[in-house]
Amino acid sequence: MDIASGIQEPFDLIRLSLSERVFVKLRGDRELSGVLHAYDGHMNLILSDVEETIMIVDLPEGQTEGTGAVSMAKRKSEMLFVRGDGVILVAPGGR
Amino acid sequence: MDSLIPFTTSGSLVDCVDRKMLVILRDGRKLQGVLRSYDQFANLVLEDTVERIYHKNAFADFPRGLFLIRGENVVLLGEIDLDKEDEVPLRQVDYPTLEPYHRAEIEAKKERDEVKAQILFDEQGYSKEGGEGDGY
Amino acid sequence: MLIFSVFKTLTDQQVTVELKNDLSITGVLKSVDQFLNIRLDNIQVLDAARHPHMMAVKNCFIRGSVVRYVQLPAEHVDTQLLEDATRREAANPSKR
Repeated sequence: MDIASGIQEPFDLIRLSLSERVFVKLRGDRELSGVLHAYDGHMNLILSDVEETIMIVDLPEGQTEGTGAVSMAKRKSEMLFVRGDGVILVAPGGR
Repeated sequence: MDSLIPFTTSGSLVDCVDRKMLVILRDGRKLQGVLRSYDQFANLVLEDTVERIYHKNAFADFPRGLFLIRGENVVLLGEIDLDKEDEVPLRQVDYPTLEPYHRAEIEAKKERDEVKAQILFDEQGYSKEGGEGDGY
Repeated sequence: MLIFSVFKTLTDQQVTVELKNDLSITGVLKSVDQFLNIRLDNIQVLDAARHPHMMAVKNCFIRGSVVRYVQLPAEHVDTQLLEDATRREAANPSKR
């Protein structure tokens, strides 16, 4: 299947992902994987069966520089509205 | 059009006028005052406003007066339940006493957030959130 | 307008709104407007101890622009209907 042939504008990629699993990268150090059910021109999204990954830095108390371990917290939601202004990218297929 | 009135900003705030409200601003400040007016952008007029700061189980008020707050700076507008307010297990202290603790807390948080953002930027490619106005 | 309509169908349902400042508020969705400003009644704050200023608040108005997520009651969302409406709106972008 040639996805690119059906795409005239950026939103076509999202339209072709309706009812499919998508990967969404968000501002605020977050990523989502969920099934896309709705979107609008602001890139507001409604996803179901969502797994959210939040990047967390474990910083020892009082430490003000250097490296801290980056860990990931996971969270699940059944049905989630995502406000478009936080979206960095949407990719077809969950990761 | 009548059926749409509940689905407007004016429809949802009309019963909050002349009531004591909590306003959280985008910079993290918490104000309490009487809501006198508002519009569809959530621009607000707040009378007898105090800025309330918190540290541990204490709070303090600083009188600020009469405000028009531009809507884009508003995070949340909360109706203060006067019965619930009496049950809040915090004690009020002098503003000058509490302010240094409050300020130190904000500074420490800011510093930690900056270090964390730098690490996430270096290791994961997440850019830092846009400075002033995003700090709430 | 599509998302606005979805929220309208969810009025009087329990939702959880997560703000960009990490405050999570659960409450009954009382109204929503075209900017997706949200009015919640009978609220409960997640991790209330970290947000002492919210203790006396029962009902609140949240500005749409500060919302990160809204967790919706899945049983009240018809996903097929949403997808059809989204395709219809995408085909007719004047109504966006």
